[in-house]
Amino acid sequence: MNCDWVKENVALYVYEELADDQRHELERHIERCESCAVELGAFRAFHRALNTVRQEEPTPNLLTASRMRLSEALEEAQQHKGWRRFTFDFAGWLYQAKLAPAMVVALIMIGFVGGGIAGWQVTRNSVGQPGPKATPSANEASIAGISGITQEPGTNNVRIKYNTLQPEVASGSLDDPKIQQLLLYAARNNTNSGVRMDSVDILTQKPEDANVRQALMVSLRYDNNPGVRLKALDSLRDYVKSDTNVRNAVLDALLNDSNSGVRSMALSLLQPVKGDASVRQVLEHLSQTDKNKFIRSESRRVLDSLGEID
Amino acid sequence: MPAEVMTLPVGVSGSTSAPGRRGHMVSQSLSRVDDSQLIREAQRGDRVAFEELVRQYDRAVLRLALHLTGSEADAQDIYQDAFLKAYRNIGSFRFECSFYTWIYRIVTNLCLDHLRKRQVRKEDAPVTVDHNGEEFDLLSQFADERPGADPERDLMRRELGGRISRAMTKLTPRERMVFELKHFQGLKLRTIGEMLSTTEETAKNTLFRATQKMRGALGDMR
Repeated sequence: MNCDWVKENVALYVYEELADDQRHELERHIERCESCAVELGAFRAFHRALNTVRQEEPTPNLLTASRMRLSEALEEAQQHKGWRRFTFDFAGWLYQAKLAPAMVVALIMIGFVGGGIAGWQVTRNSVGQPGPKATPSANEASIAGISGITQEPGTNNVRIKYNTLQPEVASGSLDDPKIQQLLLYAARNNTNSGVRMDSVDILTQKPEDANVRQALMVSLRYDNNPGVRLKALDSLRDYVKSDTNVRNAVLDALLNDSNSGVRSMALSLLQPVKGDASVRQVLEHLSQTDKNKFIRSESRRVLDSLGEID
Repeated sequence: MPAEVMTLPVGVSGSTSAPGRRGHMVSQSLSRVDDSQLIREAQRGDRVAFEELVRQYDRAVLRLALHLTGSEADAQDIYQDAFLKAYRNIGSFRFECSFYTWIYRIVTNLCLDHLRKRQVRKEDAPVTVDHNGEEFDLLSQFADERPGADPERDLMRRELGGRISRAMTKLTPRERMVFELKHFQGLKLRTIGEMLSTTEETAKNTLFRATQKMRGALGDMR
């Protein structure tokens, strides 16, 4: 540890943001280095001076006026529901674009260049050149949109990336990222609960993957089908102890799920972490107030099995 | 997300005794549970639940907006925009972070936009404007009215407040935000990083630059 390091980190020391070992090292350095001790004194004086100035609190009038104004606006406001949450916010995009003129210019240029290349390609084909290779039989009606156009440098080859509305079949190993991506998509978005159930069923084979666990937690929290939720919950069993996000999702299921089977399983999954403060808190709450007699008695039983803690 | 998610409004930091800390943990757990229920109800379109959620955070949100914008009217606009945005988008809240971090992310983004626009307009005056359009100095407006207050010391304090306000205007919007969240709101740099969608390391560097500039602008304060 040298004086430059101390001078750069003296603020973090005063704001109690240094790691314990660094804090210890810095204190030892200060004891034997006068110039760094002076620097620390100067920073403390700066910090103290800022603290002598009282911070303005919002006045009660301002707070009340803000709350009333918000309350009025909320009466008119609509929540973004269902599919709207996943749609492209064109107005928002336009607003962003307005703030980034350079981006707008770039997009216009890409449009011109892309249009030029496409026109050139069409012209080239119309004079008897062979058609584009590896193009499936995509007619105009099946093209959902063109997402990118690039030309291979120094050649006549143009690569056009487009989306089609034709059904596709993908097959591959569960370790294949493309397969995983499709499974995650199916678990989150598919309207058919049978498909969701199948995808969650397969995803449960890879709960060690953080993305998969995330998808399983989303299924546990939001899937309409209790069978899917149960399956997702069961697959998270081994991660209740090590992953606090999983623990919170299971706690949420225990507190809020509409299905008593899911809640019972959530309760049993929380056994290994019953000593956790947040789990105890929830169990206390449920043992006293839950409408379901089984959940009440089981929560009490788990709490009693805990003995005295602290 | 840590097991104990901080869901209390800012300004609850500070060392406590062991029993106090335990009580704090319990209240955090309860608050998390309460928040979670309110969020779910709000997600189902319950406006009353949402307003209850708002009341847990709105004083801190208004304070932050007021400090950063220096204007009651602007602070009120940011308050309004932030909570309306939260209401409209609460359906997409997936409990991946605490609601506290989520709402602060919205507020800090709106404040940064405001500060950037003002920087472009070069209207960053070291004074603030109340609802009547009258100017006052944000950090030095309060006279100390406690019995036995020393008028001379009070005057010095107010002068210092004015100097600090002017020094803050030398910071970039992001530096100002990090400095405000760290020094005046008492948040940890890791939390600040999460709120600003950046790393703790970047937040540290930004804080370092901000304090250097502030010290340079304020001179010797011994």
